[in-house]
Amino acid sequence: MQLPRIFRTTPFRLTLLFLALFAAAASAFLAYIYIATAGEATRRTDREIQREMRSLTAAYDRAGLDAVNQSLIQRAASERPFLYLLMGRDGRRISGSIEESPVERFNGQPAWTTFQVSDLVGGRMVKHPARGLQERLGGGEILFVGADVGEDEAYVVNIVRALWGAGALVVVLGLAGGVLVSRNVSRSMASLSGVIEAVRGGDLAARAPVRGARDEFDELAAGVNEMLDRLERSMAGHRHAGDAIAHDLRSPLTRLRARLEAAYLDVEAGRGDPTQALAQALEDTDGVLKTFAAVLAIARLQAAGTAPDAVVFDLAELACDVAELYEPLCEDKGVEFGSELTRGLTVRANREFVAQALANILDNAVKYTPAGGAIMLRVRRRSSGEAEASVTDTGPGVPEADRARVVERFVRLENSRNEPGAGLGLSLVAAVAEAHAGRVELDEGPGKVDDLGPGLRVALVLPRAT
Amino acid sequence: MRILIVEDDLEAAEAMERGLSEAGFECVRAADGQAGLEASRAGVFNVMIVDRMMPRMDGVELVETLRREGNATPVLFLSALGEVGDRVTGLQAGADDYLVKPYAFVELIARVEALARRRETGSVQTLLRVGDLEMDLIGRTVRRQGQDIDLQPREFQLLEFLMRHAGQSVTRTMLLEKVWEYHFDPQTNVIDVHVSRLRSKIDKGFDKAMLQTVRGAGYRLEA
Repeated sequence: MQLPRIFRTTPFRLTLLFLALFAAAASAFLAYIYIATAGEATRRTDREIQREMRSLTAAYDRAGLDAVNQSLIQRAASERPFLYLLMGRDGRRISGSIEESPVERFNGQPAWTTFQVSDLVGGRMVKHPARGLQERLGGGEILFVGADVGEDEAYVVNIVRALWGAGALVVVLGLAGGVLVSRNVSRSMASLSGVIEAVRGGDLAARAPVRGARDEFDELAAGVNEMLDRLERSMAGHRHAGDAIAHDLRSPLTRLRARLEAAYLDVEAGRGDPTQALAQALEDTDGVLKTFAAVLAIARLQAAGTAPDAVVFDLAELACDVAELYEPLCEDKGVEFGSELTRGLTVRANREFVAQALANILDNAVKYTPAGGAIMLRVRRRSSGEAEASVTDTGPGVPEADRARVVERFVRLENSRNEPGAGLGLSLVAAVAEAHAGRVELDEGPGKVDDLGPGLRVALVLPRAT
Repeated sequence: MRILIVEDDLEAAEAMERGLSEAGFECVRAADGQAGLEASRAGVFNVMIVDRMMPRMDGVELVETLRREGNATPVLFLSALGEVGDRVTGLQAGADDYLVKPYAFVELIARVEALARRRETGSVQTLLRVGDLEMDLIGRTVRRQGQDIDLQPREFQLLEFLMRHAGQSVTRTMLLEKVWEYHFDPQTNVIDVHVSRLRSKIDKGFDKAMLQTVRGAGYRLEA
């Protein structure tokens, strides 16, 4: 038989454990109370009986049997009378409030006994527990003094009952608390297991709710969600890479195949020189390989999530290096090149990837900036503390609506169709930024001046090395 | 010049051998790492071309073993793995150069030639001389026909590389890797611009153009 789910949860089991510990502690505590109260009541009664016995024997020793009888008569009128029985040497009753001694065998030594007395209450015989002491008097007579302990007993019973009640209360409250806590925890856990179940079923979009309580469950849920985000991005990256490769390589490969086939047919038919076609085919192949390498680099970066071989270096130094590579190109094209590099901004990154990202940004800038324009390379510290390397050009810019799109793979805007390039430049920059916990920002450049502009500002923002 | 080709892909190895033989190299082939190690112990080679992933003993292990045994033959690593980390591992193992598959044949020949020639110049040179062009590596000066040529630091490095490989074709990728130390492929041919600037400095005003463009390959500095 399986217990209901709630009883199998860890919090519930823990509750039970604590309950058991608590019950043990409570038992010890209650036992102490019991001994201290109920035991004390019995001892007090015994002391009172003893005192009474002593006072009566003293009266006997002083003035004989009559004095005892006198005392008994007086005391019978008191509020809480003792039970008395005065017997002769042979044990026969002389006087008293009970008929016969509850002490069954009496050898002359003081003897304690516990017995029951009957009392007529409201026409019904009620039995009370009682305690008594029997002693032989100096003259050989026997005196029994007892006390009804019914009230004490009732008091003890009440205490015991209260103790049981308290115990039950502890258990019930503990269980209820356990169920409550378990239910709460179970619910939080259930949403997480639900997410895991869904993901296992193939739904990568499933996310655990974060309740905003900022407790450990929220932390766990947030952690799981972040993990899933990353996983989903990585999966999407892979899928996208596949799509992109298929999409972008199919047409050049088709072209290449057609060219080779045509050349083959020409050679077979014995006409023409295939050298031209082969040279073209080689060039096509190089183009395909270049695209392939770029796509692969992006996909690997995206899949890895972090850049390999990260080292700490000065961003300005690297930017200066890359700028040096591109400066002559600008000059040749009649584009003015300037730079403002703030030194000392270190980042922890893969040098090669960041260099390539900067090269791609500069490459684009040179490509799209017409003669007479200008390109500005800046490395500066953002007010947020991050390091930023940006390139501003005076080219046609990118309309705001398209800015997010050009960072995606293979996107080249219509007006740039006739420029060379596979359209992977900015996507690689974005992948590099992402792998370094940074980002790419696209803004408008310096604005429209004559036939230049409005320009584009591409910024690679990286967290600084700590 | 003797080349040892250690490559498990038979077709690729044959193509390599044919191409290298045509370029004037004498080739020996080994089909896996173990065979490569034995061949390299048995003979003397100017350059070894080692595929990275092979059965029995992979390229990294082969090169590590060679270097441990004191064999300093220049090694060109071939690999389908093009990641930065892979190249670093390969070079750390003791390889001298690294080429990612698929490669252009001119690239392979140029690199093999560069490695083979490097062996020939044993002692440290302070002065490079190619034809009437002189480079003082300590004074950081360049003269042609006794005339001082003023070069930017990078142009100096570029010319130094070309002079060290005078008479050989060097590819654009080689220049980018060895002079700029970048291992990515710039979309625009920035190298051409740098080379043409250098050319204008060392060839302008002289009757003979030394810095030649090799069609389909790269550049060559001729005496």
